[in-house]
Amino acid sequence: MRNPTKKPGREPNIKIRPAGWQMLSIALFLFYMLLPIVSTYVFSVATRWDRTILPEGYTIEFYIRAFQTSYFVITLRNSLILSVATILVSLIVIVPTVYWVHTRLTGFKPFLDVLMILPFGIPTVVLALALVQVYNVPPLARSPILLIGAVVVYSMPFMYRPVSNALQAIDALTLTEAGQSLGANVFQVLSKIIIPNILPGILSGSLLVFSTVFAEYTLTSLIVGARFKTFPLLLVEYTRINGNIAAAFSVVSFTIAWMVSILILWVGSKGQDAPAETIQAR
Amino acid sequence: MAYLDLKNVNKSFSGVVAVHDFNLEIDKGSLVSFLGPSGCGKTTTLRMIAGFGHLDQGTIELDGNDITTVPPNQRDIGMVFQAYALFPNMTVRGNVAFGLLMKKMPKREIDQRVDNVLEMVRLQDAAKRFPHQLSGGQQQRIALARALAVQPRVLLLDEPLSALDAEVRVVLRGEIRRIQSELAITTVYVTHDQEEALSISDKVVVMNKGIIEQVGTPEEIYRTPKTHFVATFIGTANQFLGKVSGIDTVIGDHFNLLVDGVQGFADGKQVVVLVRPETIHVEPEQPKQNGWNSIPGEVETITFHGAVTRLGVNLRGQRVVADITVANTKPISLNQKIWLLFPPDACQVMDVDEG
Amino acid sequence: MPLSKRKTGQTSNWMRLLPFLLFCLAFEIVPILFLVRGSIMDKTTGQLTIQHYLDLNHALYINSFLNSIKISGLTAIVGVIFGTFIGYAIYRWPSTRIQHALITLSDVTTNFAGAPLAFAFVVILGMNGVITQFFLQYFHYELYPTFSIYSFSGLTLAYIYFQLPLMVLLILPAFAGIKKEWQESAQSLGATTFRFWWHIGIPVLMPSLIAGVTLLFANAFGAYATAYTLVEARLSLVTLQIGYMIAGEVRKDPAVGMAMAVISLLIMGLSIGIYQAATIRARRWSKS
Repeated sequence: MRNPTKKPGREPNIKIRPAGWQMLSIALFLFYMLLPIVSTYVFSVATRWDRTILPEGYTIEFYIRAFQTSYFVITLRNSLILSVATILVSLIVIVPTVYWVHTRLTGFKPFLDVLMILPFGIPTVVLALALVQVYNVPPLARSPILLIGAVVVYSMPFMYRPVSNALQAIDALTLTEAGQSLGANVFQVLSKIIIPNILPGILSGSLLVFSTVFAEYTLTSLIVGARFKTFPLLLVEYTRINGNIAAAFSVVSFTIAWMVSILILWVGSKGQDAPAETIQAR
Repeated sequence: MAYLDLKNVNKSFSGVVAVHDFNLEIDKGSLVSFLGPSGCGKTTTLRMIAGFGHLDQGTIELDGNDITTVPPNQRDIGMVFQAYALFPNMTVRGNVAFGLLMKKMPKREIDQRVDNVLEMVRLQDAAKRFPHQLSGGQQQRIALARALAVQPRVLLLDEPLSALDAEVRVVLRGEIRRIQSELAITTVYVTHDQEEALSISDKVVVMNKGIIEQVGTPEEIYRTPKTHFVATFIGTANQFLGKVSGIDTVIGDHFNLLVDGVQGFADGKQVVVLVRPETIHVEPEQPKQNGWNSIPGEVETITFHGAVTRLGVNLRGQRVVADITVANTKPISLNQKIWLLFPPDACQVMDVDEG
Repeated sequence: MPLSKRKTGQTSNWMRLLPFLLFCLAFEIVPILFLVRGSIMDKTTGQLTIQHYLDLNHALYINSFLNSIKISGLTAIVGVIFGTFIGYAIYRWPSTRIQHALITLSDVTTNFAGAPLAFAFVVILGMNGVITQFFLQYFHYELYPTFSIYSFSGLTLAYIYFQLPLMVLLILPAFAGIKKEWQESAQSLGATTFRFWWHIGIPVLMPSLIAGVTLLFANAFGAYATAYTLVEARLSLVTLQIGYMIAGEVRKDPAVGMAMAVISLLIMGLSIGIYQAATIRARRWSKS
């Protein structure tokens, strides 16, 4: 006869209805959040929608035209390249570093935390200005390489946090000592023990970086601009040319974004059993 | 007259019974423990006394008044939680004074009371500190002080020492008992640790699966357990299964036992005989028959517990535990053949527990 | 001695940090230092000067700072107030599945800043937007020309869109950190619900509220893409001005832009600093 609640003696909240003010605030919240997005989706399939509350007609013509624009495939490809490149560089630069700090240089951790907060304190325009001013010699000047460097800096915290949490959760130091006592060298420990166990964290971090970089506009447009057109640049361009096609592009952008979010959630749920602790600030 | 009276209290959570037909009278100024394993209903009952849980059935009376439907902030009850629950944004002084602030007492009186109660828990110097600057034991003492400052009619403690280190626990439980008897405040103490309950209580209420198994003084609970559960939950006991035969014998698989209390059990009934390890004597040679049970066996394990040495003995296939003191026995070695002796009145005969 | 600690602090360990440190130096620290240097140096004479900062004393730049601070402060406060209420509504919602769904929604929408969001707001509040039409048809009320989405107020509405969920995500663990035992303890000591919140609940929540204001402020201050898409030259903002300098659209000495950038960094640094301090305090209290 076990008490079904978590703590002994606590009343479980079964069948309590939410209060009126709760329902009202959530309803308004949902309205504010969903209306712009839903409207964009509808706008992208609307023939004409400037005189009425609902569209006058529906069509997929704009999607066809959008996908046929000359730069569509190129920009998608560029965005993909940028995202993947950023993920790879982040992984190579950050994962071993976080591992060393967790296991051998624990004193450095506070500094590492500060370094990882730094990108939040640097507005993207400022970072762009700084980089463009310093690296204004070819071949680095205004090159995709410089952009990748900028974007890696910008997305560092998003890779750092899941990986750091994962290392903490598996107690990387103890595992390392166990591995070493059994004869493994550092690289074997990393590749055979640590990384397989923090895979969910690495995956979460990579997905977060992906979605962040895929939607990135500021650094790309200010550092390389048209030389390396990514999808967000194309979208902004079309907001000034053809609203319907821009809507179609927005739909693509939104859809990719929330699909990646779902993936991140899925990976997160596989990684830990922490349903009650999901209420976490990012 | 009982100061705190629980009558017919029943509570279920979504169909599962948590507390069943709970009846208890608590005398004024006494310390009563609710003792039992996790999920036995002790905390549920305590929280109902505090007002943090609605009774499905039954009443709770305090000093003659029915408080069953009185909200918790009007019951004049002090509560100490396992997780201390000190308010982090206030100093120790602020925490302890909180209940008095709620009563809108004048400031000078509040300060006086706070100083007094801090002195009682021996933490006068901590008044200006914040909870996170204190150790677990200190925080719990402040939580106790906070509950006592309002001079409640009843003090409730919900496993107050479970989160603390072993040494701190022993010291603190003594402190709690000292303060409780100095103030003569009616106290209900919930714990799963029997040593705690037995050492500080006036009365112990042993609970299991929502019902009261036995109420009695610590000695009564230990020496004369009334149910199989109580006998096995409190202390260690060797259990011998067998059938009643005649007025003084229980026939087991490998040996017969002479027992004292077969009254009430029909001939041939399946029973369990309980024998506490400290009542068993050990002899290296076969002793003369003198009305005691004496059974030969082989020593399998010897565990040194300081004041007492615990022997694990193989008694014709059954493992039996005997506690011996160094002073009273000749040295024993592993695999030695010895005889275990215990009198009939050390044997408690009980019904075999169905559950 | 643990094997892995055998060489703690030795150079071989610090060497392993080198790639990362070099990377940070190259792409983060050195460029920022150059920025600072450039802002206090006269390019032609090579002398130190504060002239570039003095040059900012011009209506255009002062306006851009004022506008940026105004919109960041406004959206931060609105975001904190409404975000806290919505967060509380979610926290007290009985169904955990719906709670998770709302948290996920907040997680996703707070990242929607940028061009697609700006565009979406044009769709609903532009001259022919859905809501514009709605007011026209049902209330016979013309939003335009008194209101325009391509303005300060329009941008404010767009910013609030991603500020709200950010605050929700920030405040939820703060509510979770208010232990039930505190409430019960306060009740057993005679407090009503109101007095509990007044003496304990809100004070404990305060660091998180401060963290919220500063984080939301920094979030809005540094935003670029949404503003660029929605208002561009119609509204002067710090980030937009710096953007123009980079694109070379303005025939001015880039050093002025650097001065602006340095001031922005100071403002951001202050915000993030207060945010960190408040977060540490909040975390400490929720652990006790």
